[in-house]
Amino acid sequence: MTIQSTLSDVGNLGLSTKVDRAAYLLGLLSLRSELPSELAGLQEIRDRAFSVVRDRAIPSTREEEWRFTDLSGLLQVQFQNSAPSEIGFPQIESFLLPESTNSRLVFVDGVYAPALSAVDDLPDGVLVGNLAAGVQLFPKLYEHLALHPGGEEIFTALNTASFTDGAIVRVSQNQAIASPIHLLFVSTQEALCHPRALVVAETGSSVTLVEEYVSLAEGAYFTNPVTEIWLGENAEVRHTRVQRDSVAAFHIGKTAVSQARDSRYDCTAVSLGGKLSRHHLEVYQTGEQTDTKLNGLTIVDGDRLGDTHSLIALSQPYGTANQVNKTIVSDRAHAVFNGKVFVPKAAQLTNAAQLSRNLLLSPKARVDTKPQLEITADNVKCAHGATVSQLEDDEVFYLQSRGIEADQARKLLTYAFAIEVIDRISVASLRHALTQLVRIQSA
Amino acid sequence: MSATVQSLVNQPYKYGFVTNIESDTLPRGLSEDTVRLISAKKEEPDWMLQFRLKAYRQWLKMVEPTWALVDYPAINYQDIIYYSAPKVTEKKKSLDEVDPELLETFEKLGISLSEQKRLTNVAVDAIFDSVSVATTFKEKLAEKGVIFCSISEAVKEHPELVKKYLGSVVPAGDNFFAALNAAVFSDGSFVFIPKGVACPMELSTYFRINNGDSGQFERTLIVAEEGSQVSYLEGCTAPMYDTNQLHAAVVELVALDNADIKYSTVQNWYAGDENGKGGIYNFVTKRGLCQGVNSKISWTQVETGSAITWKYPSCVLAGDNSVGEFYSVALTNHYQQADTGTKMVHVGKNTRSTIISKGISAGNSKNSYRGLVKISPKAAGARNYSQCDSMLIGDNAQANTFPYIQVQNNGSKVEHEASTSKIGEDQLFYFAQRGISQEDAISMMISGFCKDVFNQLPMEFAVEADRLLSLKLEGSVG
Repeated sequence: MTIQSTLSDVGNLGLSTKVDRAAYLLGLLSLRSELPSELAGLQEIRDRAFSVVRDRAIPSTREEEWRFTDLSGLLQVQFQNSAPSEIGFPQIESFLLPESTNSRLVFVDGVYAPALSAVDDLPDGVLVGNLAAGVQLFPKLYEHLALHPGGEEIFTALNTASFTDGAIVRVSQNQAIASPIHLLFVSTQEALCHPRALVVAETGSSVTLVEEYVSLAEGAYFTNPVTEIWLGENAEVRHTRVQRDSVAAFHIGKTAVSQARDSRYDCTAVSLGGKLSRHHLEVYQTGEQTDTKLNGLTIVDGDRLGDTHSLIALSQPYGTANQVNKTIVSDRAHAVFNGKVFVPKAAQLTNAAQLSRNLLLSPKARVDTKPQLEITADNVKCAHGATVSQLEDDEVFYLQSRGIEADQARKLLTYAFAIEVIDRISVASLRHALTQLVRIQSA
Repeated sequence: MSATVQSLVNQPYKYGFVTNIESDTLPRGLSEDTVRLISAKKEEPDWMLQFRLKAYRQWLKMVEPTWALVDYPAINYQDIIYYSAPKVTEKKKSLDEVDPELLETFEKLGISLSEQKRLTNVAVDAIFDSVSVATTFKEKLAEKGVIFCSISEAVKEHPELVKKYLGSVVPAGDNFFAALNAAVFSDGSFVFIPKGVACPMELSTYFRINNGDSGQFERTLIVAEEGSQVSYLEGCTAPMYDTNQLHAAVVELVALDNADIKYSTVQNWYAGDENGKGGIYNFVTKRGLCQGVNSKISWTQVETGSAITWKYPSCVLAGDNSVGEFYSVALTNHYQQADTGTKMVHVGKNTRSTIISKGISAGNSKNSYRGLVKISPKAAGARNYSQCDSMLIGDNAQANTFPYIQVQNNGSKVEHEASTSKIGEDQLFYFAQRGISQEDAISMMISGFCKDVFNQLPMEFAVEADRLLSLKLEGSVG
């Protein structure tokens, strides 16, 4: 038994009896405010989720899904609702993407900020707006919102029971949007918020999506976002998810994706901030010959924790899935990865590969990784791999032999490890910004 | 193609006969009295009884684990016979005195107990139902100072050793089934290799369940002192009954400085019929402790039987530079379920471990690899390599992998690889081109798939593993 785990056990014993954890969850639920009147139609969805989450408790490390991610730190913070926030362009300017000057939605502490958003000149059949606009212009919203499997997961249900607004992106049949759609969620205060986004890419459409969580506050706020993405037949979504919350913040997010036949979903998720951050990424392939690519990068330092839980559920023949998840862990930080791949009997001729690569930069750093394959179909090719190590001495030596200082060589190798993921981002300005950030973080 | 494969894997179970022999059997059910009665029947000293009672009391407070990916109806622990032994008044000095019926049984199983007939250099401890019936080559081993006997004998004759090591690797309250075993274990093997001795021959225990309603709870303890070496093999079979029988064994290995233990298992308990009726529930706790520096423990297992296998032979690598190895082939067919793998816990510096696991699932079976590699904060320079491959035969079979990797030290290196595939049409075509029939081709590919593991079996037992493979995949091993 290690000192850390002993301490965390003590923490569990001290705080988290089931009663405490249930009471805490009720406390979070009690913060939810009323739906605005124009969203009254969504009340039923909220109520249903409320009844799911009401009698439950914040999970403890005794539950398999949360075994390595200890939420007792969360339980020590009392959150409140956000107060109205007045921020203007100057504060968020550095986060804006030149590629998305006319396709940007900004939410401040979970509340839509029309003055900061810009959604002009979009092609016909493309809707980018908040939920209020969505219920008017896109009645099919009811066929998608909160209908993914996995909605009963506790934090997802908490979001569904509590959201008051959200982003909606709908791309109609055979539309391709050139400019990326930028969903920017800004946190400005120590509060709890439940950002929500719904993306519907209809048959044959194509869209690039940038979902970004940034912070203007240094404190311990709690962001609990849910993003749902539906891909119609032959649709294509390139999704970049960037989490740059404050290093004191809690971030527990869900991305749920459904893919109809022949659709292609490509996700790059970069997680840099958060004292405790967790990303649930769930992809459901519902049609034949669907293609899923997931790339993840988590960088944690200090005593922070970064967790990625992914699930790829194939269900039809000829599906492909390719996943690479990387973590860089320094100081006393802790990275967690759990990647499930389900290949049921119907999913013959699947080709799936999963790789978890973890770089430990300090003696106290910790990684728990669990790639998990569950396969019932016989005519498939599935592989997974996991590596955990520090930088190779040979590689450092090689660079030294070329006249590069050992210290510099290590930075270079760490940077190279990270950049493999960042390089996949198709939006140039974002890629450059993240490259800079990674350069600083890996220094 | 699948028809050929099906006929290949659907070989009947050859060891399913019952031996008619009078046995001394306790009534069904488990209580403190049962534990006392078992202890009394075995004429155990008081400390042994206390060990059992403590375990029993802990067991009462425990709940059956449910995390493994196996389904079975709830076990009624009061409906099991906890002790069943062939009726003999005392253990025989010479094999000539052993009940001929018993000797014949072991002959039928291919295990010759008559020393003069043995050609291979192997000492055997034969365990029938709950009790050791014969141990061969005891005197020859004793010359070297090696103790090889049943654990009940060891309790009487070497109490200081048993007291020191029993429960030191798998404590009585380790898990539900280990606690049950500690309370009611009936027999098992005890091996002690003194300092600096390389055991002159392979040691082997043969387990046979005969009684239809009894559970088997054996306990094996192997202690290798400084600089010693031993290679040990266990084999298991059981008759065919249409009820399920519980087998909850515990194996403990202790390796001191520079010691080397190699433990091989060929498990062929009755697996149930093609509809999943009957078969053994094999819930086993096996753990080795590399206590000393430079020590080494190597597990090799060939798991082909049992309706349900729940088994994780583990190594605790406490000594610096110690080495743990795990080589496994798990074959499941029909409605068999296997949730098996290993745990490598790196505690000492520069410890190394290797995991090679091959799973073959056919029919409606479930085959899961579940493994843990844990590098503790002090295990600087630790190294692990894991590879677990699965092969699926038929589209109702299931193959799962659950590798847990927990690393808390950056001076270590952990690698894990897994793949799942089937025998490809193009591979078969290639063989056909060379004039090799489909049946031969499949068996060659399966042999090739398992080769990394079979190569680890002691040479003397290669025959046995071959026999087993040819039993399951008859006509295919060339």
